[in-house]
Amino acid sequence: MDNDIVLVIVVMTALAFDFTNGFHDTANAVATSISTRALSPRVAVTIAAILNFVGAFLSLEVAATVAKGIVEADLVTPTIVFAGLVGAIFWNLLTWYFGLPSSSSHALIGGVVGSAIAAEGFRSVKGEGIVEKVLVPALVAPLLAFAVAGLAILVAYRIIGRQAPGTVNRGFRLGQILSGSLFSLAHGTNDAQKTMGIIFLALVANGSLGPEDDIPTWVVVSAATAIAAGTYVGGWRIIKTMGTKIIKMDPAQGFAAQGAGAAVILSASHAGFPLSTTHTISGAIMGAGAAKRLSAVRWGVAGNIVAAWVLTLPAAAAVGALTYGISSLFGDGSAGPLVVSIALVAALVFVFARRLAAGRTLTAEA
Amino acid sequence: MVAGAIEWGLLLEVIWVSLLAGIGVTLFYSLVILGGARAAEARRAGRGPAAILYGALAILAGLAFLAGLVFGVGIILNK
Repeated sequence: MDNDIVLVIVVMTALAFDFTNGFHDTANAVATSISTRALSPRVAVTIAAILNFVGAFLSLEVAATVAKGIVEADLVTPTIVFAGLVGAIFWNLLTWYFGLPSSSSHALIGGVVGSAIAAEGFRSVKGEGIVEKVLVPALVAPLLAFAVAGLAILVAYRIIGRQAPGTVNRGFRLGQILSGSLFSLAHGTNDAQKTMGIIFLALVANGSLGPEDDIPTWVVVSAATAIAAGTYVGGWRIIKTMGTKIIKMDPAQGFAAQGAGAAVILSASHAGFPLSTTHTISGAIMGAGAAKRLSAVRWGVAGNIVAAWVLTLPAAAAVGALTYGISSLFGDGSAGPLVVSIALVAALVFVFARRLAAGRTLTAEA
Repeated sequence: MVAGAIEWGLLLEVIWVSLLAGIGVTLFYSLVILGGARAAEARRAGRGPAAILYGALAILAGLAFLAGLVFGVGIILNK
């Protein structure tokens, strides 16, 4: 009975993380399209939500979970996963509040690393895994996307430089719909699977499924629905940062950033070297701006974003560790996760009820 | 430890493929716009052969761009 309660809590928390992952990462696919008016905001998030939903069904390779190779799998318990998810959700909400794009995957890894250390000490963490799956990709993704988008926009300006701006802008806006759609589809296949993997592992740990079983349909549908719903709600603060605060972009820059971002993500994915969509598109936007004019990039905003990336792992780890510590005060059973969950839900309801009472929407900045 | 954890060959492959694909996508799409715009101008000016040439450029570049998109979807499907 105790195990079943923990399982339900882990599943619900994983879906809550999936939802925050969706609205936190909406900006990756739609920010450039919205800022260049390729699409209206509502149409953009609707397309992104549908493609994230569809993307979640396209590939079910969940054997490689997000924390594999980073923490010792034998030591991971449902409570460690729960605390890790709480750390990741906390970081997603905090960075959304400040309008800072950051990697949900890295937040999840950080949360699980922190809770694993709190539970089992440093022996539970594989240092090489963190270097290989977090630190190196965090450096490669933005720098590579910066360079590719910078070169791409120079090529574009060289080719279309003498054409009438109206024709050029209409053309690139149309192209942005295609590149943004590709981005959303890739995001759905990548990120919904993280949640599916976590729920699947929890079901296996609970004895409800065997390691070789197929993923139950309800897991796929619920993960797809959670990420699509989150995407549809839209993290407008982050959309505003990526779409207008880093650079003021024209449609050609928007297309070059999205095209370069999609190319980098998919090339890396093809080579088995997954990169963060957030880091990639952020770097691409900066590159598309800097190639036109270095001062076109608001480097203060860019610096804040990079600071958030640096803090993601330790901050999510600290909250994950704290959550595990509080949970374990109530023993090994379900009481700890239950108390923490109730407290967190109450806190979130309080905060968002105040936003609604103040006449603001759930996630919009205004 | 850091150098040992990095697969340099893989990293180099990601870099050159990303550069090729990222610049290629924008290059071909820019040629679609250029070809389309110039073909329309040539038609209006009554320059038939130029219109056909620029139209062909737009179509070929468009096909190359679409091939890139299809390849991208293929990567997503075969992950």
